[in-house]
Amino acid sequence: MTYPPRGWVIAKDMSDDAADVQRVLSGDVDAYAKLVDRYYDRCARFAIRMLGNRDDAEDALQSTFLRAYRALGRYQERDRFSAWLYRILVNQCRSIAARRSHRERVFVREEALLLNAPDKRPAWTGEDEEFVQRVLNELDPLLREAFLLKYVEELSYEEMAALTGAGVSALKMRVKRACDKLRERWERIRDD
Amino acid sequence: MTDPELDPYVEWIAREAKRPVAIDPMAVERVMARVRLEARPSTRSARWRWFLEPRTLPLSPLLGGALAAGLIGIGAFIGHFAIDRGGLNETGRQSAVVESRPPLASSSTDTNVIKFVLVAPHASTVAVVGDFNNWDAQATPMTRTPTGGTWSVSLRLPAGRHVYAFVVNGANGTTQWVADPTAPLAPEDGLGAPNSVVLVGGSAS
Repeated sequence: MTYPPRGWVIAKDMSDDAADVQRVLSGDVDAYAKLVDRYYDRCARFAIRMLGNRDDAEDALQSTFLRAYRALGRYQERDRFSAWLYRILVNQCRSIAARRSHRERVFVREEALLLNAPDKRPAWTGEDEEFVQRVLNELDPLLREAFLLKYVEELSYEEMAALTGAGVSALKMRVKRACDKLRERWERIRDD
Repeated sequence: MTDPELDPYVEWIAREAKRPVAIDPMAVERVMARVRLEARPSTRSARWRWFLEPRTLPLSPLLGGALAAGLIGIGAFIGHFAIDRGGLNETGRQSAVVESRPPLASSSTDTNVIKFVLVAPHASTVAVVGDFNNWDAQATPMTRTPTGGTWSVSLRLPAGRHVYAFVVNGANGTTQWVADPTAPLAPEDGLGAPNSVVLVGGSAS
């Protein structure tokens, strides 16, 4: 599967989206399947890269498309459907990451107390996707989010600001810090 | 997308992360199964949304002060009107047959419109009588409000002191002349029934 160079800015998709949204609002639920089908893959890529595992990603995707459906009457056609949907997805990923962070903190603390277990993370197996995901997981969530939006989803800083609610300068700083962290990580591997 | 500033290693990470992910072919169906359980999305119009959705309005200190002053002015005007004209006071409903509110005059001194109000939930008809209609119980019937036992009528009266009373016909055929319980009583007229007084263009005494 290949993605278009700038998947979120395609005039054809925009007109298709508007027509499908209107059909859904007129009572044709199946038209929503077309919207889900059109955007599921791209949303899934972001959710998996952001959350680092498929179970959480599927939770985020389910709740994103469900919330989007419930709120479809409030969607304004002057906005791109994709950008509107992505804003919901970013928020859902943040919510799930925050819940998981709390859950993991509790689990790690209890496990350490009971077992005094050492770090059992597997070493790099050489599989690129797994390695990339692990490197991304090591980033702070806000840095990871900014990096993915900028260099994976290829959004402009203005588009990122609209999605995240953060200012452009803050986002530039997050992207720069994410790149610095990734570079440091690479240097550690190279030196080992 | 290549960024001239991007470190080759970071660029490699981005390129790898951009690769499509394997998707469960049933994932879209699972989404749609949940969507089909939902009600149809609300299509409230944008105009209604504009009125109903909460919003934050930027307000400069100057405009805020002007609005506050305006609200104070409106409050002062209403307060003056209510006090000066003996305005419509809300009275608690009592167990007695009648309750009343003092007559309410319009703010215009040349029209002198007086509104008489009486609460008589068990009455079948009510009329106001006084020196302004020669104490004719048929001349000025009052109208019952659609929602309750309140009766009212508005009359154009000349400025000055007027003596009046209410004629309340009960559902059981009885007729009572009653004074306005919320207005000053007139001196005893020797006919046995108390009357009330309203002073048009000034305060009742």
